[in-house]
Amino acid sequence: MKKNLISVKNLSKHFKVYKKEPGLMGSFKSLFVRKYETVKAVNDVSFEINEGEIIGFIGQNGAGKTTTLKMLSGLLYPTKGEVSVLGFNPWDRKQEFQKQFALIMGQKNQLWWDLPALESFMLNKAIYEIPDKQFEDTLEKLSTLLDVKDILKIQVRKLSLGQRMKCELIAALLHNPKVLFLDEPTIGLDVVMQKTLRDFIKEYNKEFGATIILTSHYMDDVKELCERVIIIDHGTKVYDGLLDKIIKKYARNKTLTLSFDEKISKADLNEYGTIKSFDENQVTLLVKRSEATKIASKILNKFKVNDLNIEEAPIEAIIREIFSIQNK
Amino acid sequence: MSKYITLLKLSWQNGLVYRTSVIMWRFRQFLKTLMSLTVWTVIFASNANAFNYTQDSMITYIFLVSFLQSMIIASALNGLAHRVYSGEISNHLIKPINIYAYFAVEEIADKAKNVGFLLVEVLILFLIFKPTIILPSMFIFLVFLIWSLLGMILNFIISLLFGSFGFWSPDTWGPRFLFFMIINFTAGSLFPLDILPSVIQKVLYLTPFPYLSFVQIQLFLGKFNNQEVFTHSIVLLFWLGLLGSFAS
Repeated sequence: MKKNLISVKNLSKHFKVYKKEPGLMGSFKSLFVRKYETVKAVNDVSFEINEGEIIGFIGQNGAGKTTTLKMLSGLLYPTKGEVSVLGFNPWDRKQEFQKQFALIMGQKNQLWWDLPALESFMLNKAIYEIPDKQFEDTLEKLSTLLDVKDILKIQVRKLSLGQRMKCELIAALLHNPKVLFLDEPTIGLDVVMQKTLRDFIKEYNKEFGATIILTSHYMDDVKELCERVIIIDHGTKVYDGLLDKIIKKYARNKTLTLSFDEKISKADLNEYGTIKSFDENQVTLLVKRSEATKIASKILNKFKVNDLNIEEAPIEAIIREIFSIQNK
Repeated sequence: MSKYITLLKLSWQNGLVYRTSVIMWRFRQFLKTLMSLTVWTVIFASNANAFNYTQDSMITYIFLVSFLQSMIIASALNGLAHRVYSGEISNHLIKPINIYAYFAVEEIADKAKNVGFLLVEVLILFLIFKPTIILPSMFIFLVFLIWSLLGMILNFIISLLFGSFGFWSPDTWGPRFLFFMIINFTAGSLFPLDILPSVIQKVLYLTPFPYLSFVQIQLFLGKFNNQEVFTHSIVLLFWLGLLGSFAS
């Protein structure tokens, strides 16, 4: 049985936010009197994560994902709740704990901007007290996997965003962390680079057995890497389970793509479902998930169909659906 | 220890990346001292004594200001508030390194770099002005070194306190700029504070700022008796204790 590495109980973080009245008068007023509002960035969230799992932490902007990761890293104190990561309370900020995890934020750099990435790696080697042999082996392995050997001696500011992100990953992984918090690691990268990083994260998880929490707005990242997802909305957890099960739980429709031998009219198909696209012989229909097979059978009996494809709704659409249900 | 030595080396490397910027910065410092020396040399050309300073003591004052500006007042932590507000500081906080020691090493690297350049500049100024520098007794010189060290720590603590503004506001340049102006005036960087009316001097001594250069220079110039040396030592330690407790 796999060991429980991360345990979060009733975690909450509330911030006091200044609300400015609009206009110039509002600005003058704010010099003397200010109104504040409490925002529940994270509200009573609980979950447990086992060793070696890759968890997709999904939510809209401002849902509380980064705040949660910051609390798990010991950067923010919670308003209430308990957290245990690798058996440590993160807010004690013990060095034994800090040597075993890494936090990578896609929008924040740890590399020294004006120096080659290798210099930052050397500093991390000293900070994490990585033995020479382990450092050389890990650097060799990671730089080969990410194909960056030839850029390690170039100033970071002269690297492309993708190259920089690869070097950021190496800097964060040199000490072989057991727990990895990845906050939007693929943000701003092109699709090829996104895929490279995804493959690398998967490989790292397999080789080092690392436990990973990943936040991303790109569903491809989540689909490819995570079996289990936690969905958070307005600071509250709305789903925690297998990605596959979201479809069963929340998907209301399936998509039928039909190719006909003969020309058909829109009116002929209206009774079966919602027409999403229509093109003489090719039609895409949105039908009730529970009735998809029955409707497909009816269509097959009534029309001359030369091809039929039944698909689940895309995961992006299902997640949009979940958020829209929550916000009603 | 090796983590701090590596950080020290990296800080030096980082500080020397932009060649033009380094040259301009040092030229500015050099020019500032050169102008002060020129102005006071002209003043003393027709006066043997001005504001209770002889030419030699004033020239010594200017050289000491230049040295203490680099050692005490210059700080690598000027951008700390921005690092706090932007979240850049998170990168340090999650690592197994003492954050205060990290900042202290950055400060040491910055000051060591300043002094390295300063030695060359002072040599050039010596060749130009051929000044007579007043030297204190060995005991006073030792106290001067200790006070300078304590002044560095005091400025380090004040810089940390200013940096903490970043937790509440992104706009820290207002207070920071005001602080620069206050320091330049009250630490005696622009002119000796004892040329001011005694009331203003008394008010200034109620703040920690004269302890960031001025008292050290007065000590070096032999303007304090033993009682005053003792009193200023106590006050300096008081400010360190008080501001240190705020910072912690």
